[in-house]
Amino acid sequence: MEQKKHWQSFGELNQSEAYNKDVKDEFKEELPFVSEESASFLGTKAPRRDFLKYLGFSTAAAAVAASCEMPVKKAIPFANKPEDIVPGISKYYATTYVQDGDVVSVLAKVRDGRPIKIEGNDLSPLTKGGTSARVQASVLDLYDTARLRFPTIEGKEVTFEAIDKAVASSLSGPVVIVTSTITSPSTKEAISQFLAKYPGSRHVTYDAISYSGILLANEATYGKKAIPSYHFENAKAIVSIGADFLGTWLSPIEFAKQYATGKKLDEKNPEMSKHIHFESVASLTGSNADEKYLHRPSETGAVVAALLSAVNGQGAAGISDAKLKAGIEKAAKMLAANKGAALVVAGSNDVNVQIAVNAINEAIGAGGKTIDWSATSNIRQGVDADFAKLVEDMNAGSVGSLFIHGANPAYSWFDADKFKAALKKVKTTVSFNSKLDETAELCKFVIPDHNYLESWGDAEATTGHYSFLQPTIYPLFKTRQWQDSLLKWAGNPSDYLAFLKTFWSAKLGGESGWNKALQDGVLNPSAGTLASASFNSSAVANAVTALGSGKKGGKIELVLYEKIGIGAGQGAANPWLQELPDPVTRATWDNYVIVSPALAKTLLDIDLNNGGQADSYEVNPPKKVVKVTVNGKSVELPALIIPGTHPDTIAIAVGYGRSEKLGKSVVGTGKNAFPFATLSGASVSFVNTDVTIVSTGEKYPVALTQTHSRYDTEQGNRTEVMKELTLAAYKENPTEIRDEREAELKPYGGLEKFESQGTIYPVYDRPGIKWGMSVDLNTCTGCAACVVACNAENNVSVVGKPEVLRGHEMHWLRIDRYFSGDMDNPNVVFQPLMCQHCDNAPCENVCPVAATNHSSEGLNQMTYNRCIGTRYCANNCPYKVRRFNWADYTGADSFPNNQEGIVNDVVLDMNDDLTRMVLNPDVTVRSRGVIEKCSFCVQRLQEAKLKAKKESRPMVDSDLKVACQQACPTNAINFGNANDKQSSISKTRKENPNRQFYVLEQLHVLPNVTYMAKVRNADEAHEAGKEKKGAEKKEEKKEHA
Amino acid sequence: MHLKYESQLREPLVNGNKTYHQVTEDIVRPIEAKPSRLWYVGFYIAVAVLLFGVYSIYRDVTYGIGQWNLNKTVGWGWDITNFVWWVGIGHAGTLISAILLLFRQGWRTGVNRAAEAMTIFAVMCAGQFPIWHMGRVWMAFFVLPYPNTRGPLWVNFNSPLLWDVFAISTYFTVSLLFWYSGLLPDLATVRDRAFTKLRKRLYGVASFGWNGSTKHWQRHESLSLVLAGLSTPLVLSVHTIVSFDFATSVIPGWHTTIFPPYFVAGAIFSGFAMVQTLMVIIRKVFEMEDYITLGHIEAMNKVIVLTGSIVGIAYLTELFMGWYSQNKFEGYTFWYSRAYLFSPYGWSYWGMMACNVLSPQIFWFRKMRRNLFVTFFMSIIVNIGMWFERFVIIVTSLYRDYLPSSWSVYYSPTIWEIGFYAGTFGLFFTCFFLFAKYFPVIAIAEIKYVLKTTGESYKDKMGHLEHVAPEVFAHSGHGHTTVENDGASHS
Repeated sequence: MEQKKHWQSFGELNQSEAYNKDVKDEFKEELPFVSEESASFLGTKAPRRDFLKYLGFSTAAAAVAASCEMPVKKAIPFANKPEDIVPGISKYYATTYVQDGDVVSVLAKVRDGRPIKIEGNDLSPLTKGGTSARVQASVLDLYDTARLRFPTIEGKEVTFEAIDKAVASSLSGPVVIVTSTITSPSTKEAISQFLAKYPGSRHVTYDAISYSGILLANEATYGKKAIPSYHFENAKAIVSIGADFLGTWLSPIEFAKQYATGKKLDEKNPEMSKHIHFESVASLTGSNADEKYLHRPSETGAVVAALLSAVNGQGAAGISDAKLKAGIEKAAKMLAANKGAALVVAGSNDVNVQIAVNAINEAIGAGGKTIDWSATSNIRQGVDADFAKLVEDMNAGSVGSLFIHGANPAYSWFDADKFKAALKKVKTTVSFNSKLDETAELCKFVIPDHNYLESWGDAEATTGHYSFLQPTIYPLFKTRQWQDSLLKWAGNPSDYLAFLKTFWSAKLGGESGWNKALQDGVLNPSAGTLASASFNSSAVANAVTALGSGKKGGKIELVLYEKIGIGAGQGAANPWLQELPDPVTRATWDNYVIVSPALAKTLLDIDLNNGGQADSYEVNPPKKVVKVTVNGKSVELPALIIPGTHPDTIAIAVGYGRSEKLGKSVVGTGKNAFPFATLSGASVSFVNTDVTIVSTGEKYPVALTQTHSRYDTEQGNRTEVMKELTLAAYKENPTEIRDEREAELKPYGGLEKFESQGTIYPVYDRPGIKWGMSVDLNTCTGCAACVVACNAENNVSVVGKPEVLRGHEMHWLRIDRYFSGDMDNPNVVFQPLMCQHCDNAPCENVCPVAATNHSSEGLNQMTYNRCIGTRYCANNCPYKVRRFNWADYTGADSFPNNQEGIVNDVVLDMNDDLTRMVLNPDVTVRSRGVIEKCSFCVQRLQEAKLKAKKESRPMVDSDLKVACQQACPTNAINFGNANDKQSSISKTRKENPNRQFYVLEQLHVLPNVTYMAKVRNADEAHEAGKEKKGAEKKEEKKEHA
Repeated sequence: MHLKYESQLREPLVNGNKTYHQVTEDIVRPIEAKPSRLWYVGFYIAVAVLLFGVYSIYRDVTYGIGQWNLNKTVGWGWDITNFVWWVGIGHAGTLISAILLLFRQGWRTGVNRAAEAMTIFAVMCAGQFPIWHMGRVWMAFFVLPYPNTRGPLWVNFNSPLLWDVFAISTYFTVSLLFWYSGLLPDLATVRDRAFTKLRKRLYGVASFGWNGSTKHWQRHESLSLVLAGLSTPLVLSVHTIVSFDFATSVIPGWHTTIFPPYFVAGAIFSGFAMVQTLMVIIRKVFEMEDYITLGHIEAMNKVIVLTGSIVGIAYLTELFMGWYSQNKFEGYTFWYSRAYLFSPYGWSYWGMMACNVLSPQIFWFRKMRRNLFVTFFMSIIVNIGMWFERFVIIVTSLYRDYLPSSWSVYYSPTIWEIGFYAGTFGLFFTCFFLFAKYFPVIAIAEIKYVLKTTGESYKDKMGHLEHVAPEVFAHSGHGHTTVENDGASHS
């Protein structure tokens, strides 16, 4: 086709000169007002339009500049969107929580480049997706404002090049590397490369709470200095002598998971494992035990020896306390009856105790059944004697350089002063700790390590079970993985990543194997059979003799223990963990002296059986201060009365009284109890058998989140709140609880028709989705992982100790702890309580502005921006789960400067720009003056529904897990659509009609959370039943009166 | 035998041989005179206390409700206690003006003006608490049902708090109208006596151009009756609805059907006590013993002993039901948290019992009823007792309810909670001092009414009857004059 030419003017057609000039000038390049003639801007003749432009621009500019109200927002958009990041969509990266020896395979939820939540990795056969409070809280450590931000030499900031040079020049042999337990095979390789470079050097493992006793006992009896894997799931009979295996002993997540399999009750075939616990101080595990016996700490050896002799059929010798003796004999009988399906563990760090325990385990055939020697646990490798030797060497001046990673002996070694003095004699000291802890403070060189979420790495918690670390965020600060330093100083040209990759690629068959392993996060061995090890009984006789001749305890004995959140101090700088109520004592932000009710009577003059005294002890946070003295060392701490503690025993938690350089949350929280430990033989003993305790007459406020501990009152036992019974009682009458509910509701239509006949209002259909939750009190151990998970998921504010003291804590989910029965050795039951999402919610109808209302899916919803804060809903909530924002905890308020002096430094620190990176963008940050509460993780529900909708299918269980459910190591929490017959919540409810109950069902608030009653495996005279009968009698008496 | 005109049954409502002019003089005198030194001292103290209250509220609004010691379990404490207490006090005025008007109780005229003023100020004080106790008071307008741009959002008509909004605002409006319409003729009197231009103008505006014409009087009377009719149910409804704040809840100790009558009786009880407190002072300070006579004081003391006994019965009924229901939660609240003296708040329950039930029984004795010191002392005691009652209901129910795990630490107020309460006293007395200075504290016109049928001058007028033989008198048609307190029927 011919090319037609279109023209607009003759000029264009003819390409006249004038036309060309016009075309050229149509879009002038130079500014119109800068004429070529005059260079000066002011000299130009500005046309009218330009004048208006200037005017407009300058007015606008002035307006913008003058509006100082306008906040400066720093939002930096992606210039090029990264391929794998979609704003608003979370990514999950498999990595591994590594804290000293603890290893937990996890998934890090990363939103817009920030890790905001840690979830368990289901692929790990050890933890099976379970987590702990500390794992859940670890994400906050990443954003800790007190983290070291750059390498320093004597406190001055330097570059990595400079510090490498300086270290290289001052490095003198022999070098000793002190670390907490290292489970990473590649790191061990790196260490050995380094050690090879500097002959005469060595690696010393230091664990703050060591398991030397077990390691050495196993060396003596099995020839292996290792810890076997325990398999509680295979044990029908469990005896624990002071081992808090559900809380803090070795690998509690793994053990809780195993333990729960034995505690899960099948209603049709009600069988459970039985757990008998011997301890001196109420612990989480003791609280979960089916039967518990108390002994003095100094009697631990005697108890173990007696158990050994009883298991061997020689009776429990050498025990004077009749109750305890009966308990030991009972335990022995139970163990003997369950040979091959029984397990004994002991928490003592005494070698002889552990040798005797090994002998018991041999006698009951635990090896290969409940104890596996084919895969040993690597999570504690430190032997205290090695470290004690090192301190001697340092003092002798025979250590040239000291590298420290993870370990913090200047705080946690029993004789910290000696270590500090020794440290001064070492020429070159290098700390790789990521915070300026007590030890790093004393080191010349500090090269902070990455947080685990910024790190590469691997870990082998149990032989053959590998777990991998990959960074989930670019390092926030000028930090460096300590392995990099080691490799560099060892002269290895590759960095740790390359080293790690080479290390694993070789084993995994190249790049793809490595990538797969990283993606899964774990590498599991093929399921093997459990193996026993050959037992060498020669050490047993000596051990038992030693136990028999152990020194007698004094009047009062002291136990040092770890708290679930704080551990040996690792959690002390984490505000979530500090504000986490201890499951047993329900106290936050402090350590204290635990005393028994009996001791309280004589020492503190407080009789818990005296109503008035008990009330006044409970309702007033200031508690009496006592002074504990051992060998000239003394500490003054408030005393808390905890039933279930031996009358002659007191206990103090370690991990408190940290250096203030660790962060705001350690300031003023507790005192250090490590100096009370002693070195006995080759291991540190956390028991002190002779202490003096006096009341100082002073008081100190302790922030308890629960003041009252019993659910029975003079006016009747509040069994509507909590239902527990024994297995024997359950077998006798499986429908006991159901009958009880039926009787209660009988006048209102009974269980079946209560919903419609318990009210004069019409009852509505609830089609579609109906969210429901079920909590099994039998498998719930009270470990509090869910509480921290909830905090992290839902941006729950930290309020600090002064506010907790005033009952202002914000936790959406709490774990109520009740004692029942004998106050000296009570039954303990834990009850996680969150918003019950009542279908006939009393909070909803009282809100004047309808800020809280009911969704068509059964959710009790909170509309924050509608709430005016009358608090009527909180008053009218029978479960007291609603929380009010008493002050500006989040900085979300529009009132300027209203935090200073009102909230404490910890809260301000939580509002730091760095710390706020942990906030979940899917959840509104609540401002002052509004009520908040559990939402059933509505953001997760929406996500799950959307996911199903996008895939055009109905939602199923696997689409979602609410945060508490996800975190739970024992799967005690079940959640889902109760209208879906196939959902696990429906099935759980259907399969457990007898144990199921609603809290305060008789109020007709129609909660959507079902609880399954606690069943304790006690076969004889069951206390729960007895007590109920007693209460009935009391009521009868009253009627006759 | 001659008749002696002397009422044995009813003592005169006004003492002394007062003429209409004297009445005006006596009552308007404080308005026209310079305030006494005592007035200034009192007024400045009241303003100072008010300012402290303002600062307390400033802190509450700026820093949050955490300035108070409320907690996760005890969501209401001094704030709502004070609210209910003030609302209760605000009951006497309307009761006196409306219900006693309808029941034709002549003695109300001496005290109704001040009592109504007290009501209005008390309700103003009461209103502060539900407003400033909100966490986000700047959003308080959310409680008003008006067409808005926030989508289909509307208030929640199920909520007793919303009923409160309506009840209190209606009550305040009607009380204010009633009070003010009663003031009109008196303000006109003050205007007519005014000696400065400004005064004349201001009272002129305030009296709405009242000129005392028959038409005005007639309309005034009708309006009074209509407003009295409107207020009467309000007297009962306001505190009934306030009681619903508790009665409709599920909390043991709140969830009680007895609350409406019990609250109303309590409100009248405390209201009268407050009127007594003020009247004893006013009659002394303004030298109005002739208008607020011992007869008035005694009449009100009778009301106090009656209502005090009613609340006493209510307390005992609650205790009985706490036992009889065999509901362990109720039982615990009533028999442990409250009635057990050594429980943490047992003192407040027994304080309430002592102040509200036991001590008013002293008024069974006429001598005590007519003793000013005892009256004043008792009026204070009763109001302390009624404050305890509200505190007991609110705090002892909340601090230990269903779940023992959530039982609260000991709740006691912070300085800012106390400051807020004190501030409302400041507000109340500031208003009352201004009222006493600028308004006639006794209804002049109404006193003049009753003067027609009571008092010495009336007796004088009736003197001629003493010379009439009884038989003649009985058949003379004078009988109606013995209806002495029927002021309204003569107008």
